[in-house]
Amino acid sequence: MSENPVPLRDPARAAFLAWLVPGLGHFYQGRTGKGWLYGTCILGLYVAGFILGEGKDVYWRWVSPLNTERFMLHYVGQFFVGLAALPALIQATIEHFRPGTNFLWGFMAEPSQNVINGLHLRLGKLYEIGTIYTTVAGLLNVLAIYDAYEGPAYGRGDEPETVAIPADAPTNAHAGGAA
Amino acid sequence: MNAPSNIYWLILPLVVAISLVYTASRYESWPVIWMRSLRLCLWILAALVGTTAVLLLVNTQS
Repeated sequence: MSENPVPLRDPARAAFLAWLVPGLGHFYQGRTGKGWLYGTCILGLYVAGFILGEGKDVYWRWVSPLNTERFMLHYVGQFFVGLAALPALIQATIEHFRPGTNFLWGFMAEPSQNVINGLHLRLGKLYEIGTIYTTVAGLLNVLAIYDAYEGPAYGRGDEPETVAIPADAPTNAHAGGAA
Repeated sequence: MNAPSNIYWLILPLVVAISLVYTASRYESWPVIWMRSLRLCLWILAALVGTTAVLLLVNTQS
């Protein structure tokens, strides 16, 4: 990026697509290089973490956020990976309203405490690292979503601060693109 | 995988992904993205290695 503004093309839709599948919002905007970078890094990290945790490190349960013992704080991060983490939310919602339902063979359903204890014993730190990977992947996608919506938050020095504008915006309307 | 000996290698993909995504969210020029992310990656690794070295030095347990 130099003097030309970044074409953001319907930033809200791009941000939604960026949440749904990391990188998709940037493909939609025609920023294919960034789409590949975000998709590879974020989904790669998420899938690696998911495999490390044997698919049992992404789940959600509906409890009050004030219940710090049982609240699934890491899923708040994982949620931002989008579609890949969404089955956990669906499973928890089904379990909340219809306990005992075996939806999608329990894929991303909350594992029992015995299963989690067994994973900790068998995998040791790898289970925790899997949780960290998947959570960080979601948090990184927040940056990608922001980039899809607002354009790059230029740092100091290397590039002139330019204003990112939606491709279909009137010429006198500006969206912020500089931090 | 032998977890106790190889677990530190798992920090590498995390640091690389964080460096690339963070830098890409701040810049649009590819040369700048590569250079800055490499620099950030090295900074994070240096900080982690330095912290680990300090912890090893002050470690009182065998």
